[in-house]
Amino acid sequence: MIQEVYTLTIRELKKWLSRRGTFIVSLITPLFWLGLFGKSLNFASMFTPTNLPPQYSSLLSQYVDQQLLNLFGTTNYFTYLASGMLVVFGFFQSVFGGTNLVFEKRLGYLNRLLMTPTPRSGIFLSKVFGTLVRILFYETVLILIAYGLGFKFKPGISALNIILAGIAIILVAIGFVSIFAAIAFNVDNVEIMFAIVNLINLPLMFASSALFPLKQMPSWLQEIAKFNPITYAADIVRHNLIGTPVSNYILSWIILLVISVALFIIGMFVSINAMERS
Amino acid sequence: MKTMETVIEVKNLTKKYGDFVAVDHINFTINKGEVFSLLGPNGAGKTTTIGMLSTVKKPTEGDAFILGHSIVKQKYQVRKLIGVSPQDLTADDELTGYENVLIMAKLFGYRGKEAEDRSKWALEFMDLWDSAFKKVREYSGGMRRRLEVAMSIVHNPAVVFLDEPTVGLDVQSRRHIWELIRDLKKNGTTVLLTTHYMEEAEELSDRVAIIDHGKIIAMGTPDELKAKIKGDRIYVTLKGQDHMDEIIRKINDILPNSTNKVDGQILIKTESSSEFLPQLIKILSDYEVIELKVVKPNLEEVFLELTGKGLREDEGGFDRFKYMRITRGARR
Ligand SMILES: Nc1ncnc2c1ncn2[C@@H]1O[C@H](COP(=O)(O)OP(=O)(O)OP(=O)(O)O)[C@@H](O)[C@H]1O
Ligand SMILES: [Mg+2]
Repeated sequence: MIQEVYTLTIRELKKWLSRRGTFIVSLITPLFWLGLFGKSLNFASMFTPTNLPPQYSSLLSQYVDQQLLNLFGTTNYFTYLASGMLVVFGFFQSVFGGTNLVFEKRLGYLNRLLMTPTPRSGIFLSKVFGTLVRILFYETVLILIAYGLGFKFKPGISALNIILAGIAIILVAIGFVSIFAAIAFNVDNVEIMFAIVNLINLPLMFASSALFPLKQMPSWLQEIAKFNPITYAADIVRHNLIGTPVSNYILSWIILLVISVALFIIGMFVSINAMERS
Repeated sequence: MKTMETVIEVKNLTKKYGDFVAVDHINFTINKGEVFSLLGPNGAGKTTTIGMLSTVKKPTEGDAFILGHSIVKQKYQVRKLIGVSPQDLTADDELTGYENVLIMAKLFGYRGKEAEDRSKWALEFMDLWDSAFKKVREYSGGMRRRLEVAMSIVHNPAVVFLDEPTVGLDVQSRRHIWELIRDLKKNGTTVLLTTHYMEEAEELSDRVAIIDHGKIIAMGTPDELKAKIKGDRIYVTLKGQDHMDEIIRKINDILPNSTNKVDGQILIKTESSSEFLPQLIKILSDYEVIELKVVKPNLEEVFLELTGKGLREDEGGFDRFKYMRITRGARR
């Protein structure tokens, strides 16, 4: 079992490395977002008229900072957004990790795998692991770029903080790659698969605290966001990287863990079932 | 025959898709070291049969045993014993041939050096070692087919299933693969082959099962099957259809019940074409003949005799969809 999962995971990664283009293309979206929203939306200067006398100007800017701090938990919206983007990016990559199974199916490769003694759970797990390795790599690149663009870590950040943030992102990814692999195992048509992806992706991203704080949302959206693992992962990542307070830190972990494990188990079960059927 | 070891035993194997019966209560056994062919036209149920035998399709009814292991109840044991080369190309074209084969070796439990040695052996066996480290994307059609076989023999399976291993290839590449399949047999491997090329079945097989609409309609050695049609066949193509019935009547007067119309041609069945030809030519001399063809017994004729239609009748048009599947390996 371990050998099979290892073999198939390495296969995934080899394919990934051999496609030089996708590596760059995958990073374009988050970079674009960081640049567009994070860097250009400079709230402090937006609310500071240029012709104000200096003493008022600094007062106003203090006031704006205070408002930003209330709203986002940090005076730097770029940092706020970038930390959320880390989670969103992990989420997107995990969705695509699961989705590409549809292609594997259509190319007949899955069919061949199923004719070997490879445990069906191993086929599923290799998909999950391959995706996680990719995500960890991209996230590292992304955080370095964000730092270069002015991302502000909280004072006294420790290695443990970074590891905890990584674990939160991985939990989200495990949940979604499992669910989307399960869907892909049951869908033969690429267009249908992408329709499903689009249907789920954007709403999940917006109905979370990844881009904007929950308290800024209409209450019905807040209710939805409460069931969204991305919300909890984003809160945990922010808490660890930039020091934003979280109302109940431990509870966030528990909810995230429960949702992710549940999605993983359901995804694995449905996937194995689909492989055994026919 | 009794002393031979049975490798595959198929009992009443049946597959229904809804109400449609794709494979209909088929029975056969294959002995160790045999090359056994399922010969039949498109849609006969060959791939479905292979799918069931290789444990990825669940039989609706019946069972089959690979070295005594049930394909329904002992899937895992069966998977360890078989090597399958599916009809659609499955190799990963972003990887090299070697990487593809090595992955298979590892999935069958070989490790490290042993996995590498076995991969090298399989690629050498299929004459692919020279291109082993090229990306599969750069392979020709024939090379890709051979790679599929290499991937399915790397673990030295007791049985190899080859689903249309030469489909879409030119004569030369096809012969090359035939050669390699014969070597496999020499190696002691049991081979179950499907094909809709009668030359292929005839050239390679110890025994052939002719399958049509999911049923086995005849089974035996190529010679036994050919013995089902006594004597030769003569096909006459005329310019225009006007005098056909007239000619058929004249021939039947000499050779009773020997002649009828098939696909706009006159088909004459005779014990010995050489004896009858002089008389036939005399009859035909009054008419405009476009083509006269003498056919020795072959499996195509057997199929025609049993079903009343040609093996490749529905191949007339260019099946773009199937062509895409074969060349690009995209599944339906
Ligand atoms: N998944 C499926 N659902 C419904 N019908 C199917 C399915 N798979 C195959 N069939 C039908 O079952 C019949 C047998 O198909 P099969 O692929 O086994 O034929 P084949 O002998 O391999 O033909 P070919 O020479 O074209 O490969 C065909 O009529 C086909 O349309
Ligand atoms: Mg077929």
